[in-house]
Amino acid sequence: MPRIQTRCFDELEYSPDAVFEFPSGLPGFEAEHAFVFLEQPATHPLMFMQSLSRKDVCFILLPVLAADRHYELRLSDEDLAALHFPAGSRPQIGKDILCAVTVCAADDQRPHPTVNLFAPILVNLKQKIGIQAVQTQYPAQHPLITQGCGEELATCS
Amino acid sequence: MLVMRRRAGETFLIGEAVEIEVLEICGTRVKLGIVAPDSVLIQRKEIKITRDENIVAVRSVGRQSISSILDKVSAKLAGAPVK
Repeated sequence: MPRIQTRCFDELEYSPDAVFEFPSGLPGFEAEHAFVFLEQPATHPLMFMQSLSRKDVCFILLPVLAADRHYELRLSDEDLAALHFPAGSRPQIGKDILCAVTVCAADDQRPHPTVNLFAPILVNLKQKIGIQAVQTQYPAQHPLITQGCGEELATCS
Repeated sequence: MLVMRRRAGETFLIGEAVEIEVLEICGTRVKLGIVAPDSVLIQRKEIKITRDENIVAVRSVGRQSISSILDKVSAKLAGAPVK
């Protein structure tokens, strides 16, 4: 098993199956084209998207349905093509694609951690290709707090 | 916000140096042509929003932030009130 220097967990072994290519990089990190998705039992359900080439580039991710269980993707034909899906197809979250959102910790500007529902990370699980899509119907700084009825949220764990 | 009505083929100026032409209107999409000096950064707003948020997200990663995020996530998934 190959090993990687990570920002959050020192050096870790990783499976080559957990490496995804981002041919265009991500906005702000255009030179990073390969990320490994790491999960640790102690930090479930968070995932860590660690750049293979830069130890300091790591995103905290949350599966989108844990952030918003009613989240609906609207993928353009350009998004589908970038993910190697046929035009007009409707890939399913969890089955065909992994869809996760980046998390920002609370700071002076934001009283609660926020998730970026506006620009989810999408990967084609079979082809191992990823993009950061744009979903203008959702906010970029959605507070990660319990909202409304707790019972409804409890069912998604 | 200034609102201006333009037809395809019409142009407007921002300052002296930036010129924007409406090239084509097709359904809900507008194709624009932009002439501007090299010093003017032109970018899609959604890419700027995403870039800014990505940079903050990467900067905020740390052991302490992970545990505080995890507390909020656990509380959210359990439906418990958040402190």
